[in-house]
Amino acid sequence: MARSIKKGPFIEKKLYKRIQESLKTNQKQMIKTYSRSSTIIPEMVGFTISVYNGKTWIPVYITENLVGHKLGEFSPTRIFRGHASDKKVG
Amino acid sequence: MARIAGVDLPNKAVKIALTYIYGIGRCSAVEICEKTKIDPDTSINTLSSDDLAVLRKVIEEEYKVEGRLRTEVALNIKRLMDIGCYRGLRHRKGLPVNGQRTKTNARTRKGKKKTVASKKK
Repeated sequence: MARSIKKGPFIEKKLYKRIQESLKTNQKQMIKTYSRSSTIIPEMVGFTISVYNGKTWIPVYITENLVGHKLGEFSPTRIFRGHASDKKVG
Repeated sequence: MARIAGVDLPNKAVKIALTYIYGIGRCSAVEICEKTKIDPDTSINTLSSDDLAVLRKVIEEEYKVEGRLRTEVALNIKRLMDIGCYRGLRHRKGLPVNGQRTKTNARTRKGKKKTVASKKK
């Protein structure tokens, strides 16, 4: 068994706690987080989690398909607006 | 000429000829030879039709090749693009997916060089 599998998925404790709490109260309000490296777990389905990208929080609605990915994958940190020369032509 | 999984195999040693099928490399080619008890070094044209039938059967049943494999790969990529994750975005833009540099190189993904004229003074 690979060591990383043995250790289980990583998820920030604070975020996990927030999710467990709001599951109990049945309120799925927006959760803001800096934790881009947290794995998306099945419990998170249905939440909207705002993931920080270094500047703003990008809301990510968690669906079944996203389970197993990391939160940061859905909050791009770079914006490519095209090259200056492209603008002139277009 | 032998035909397996919709591909014409050239007259070469079995372990080489099988690699002409998409989804079968050197390693799985030798594996198939072991399973079918065919000597991997005999050339394709000397095989009997029985041998070919056995080869076909093993490949059909135990390996994902050609069309089916291609659709699977395409679906995996499509899934990444649909959920809008970083890897999907890279696929959409036709840029390297696994974090390679793009300042230089990356020509395999980006295609042939498009030269941009330098600014005039």
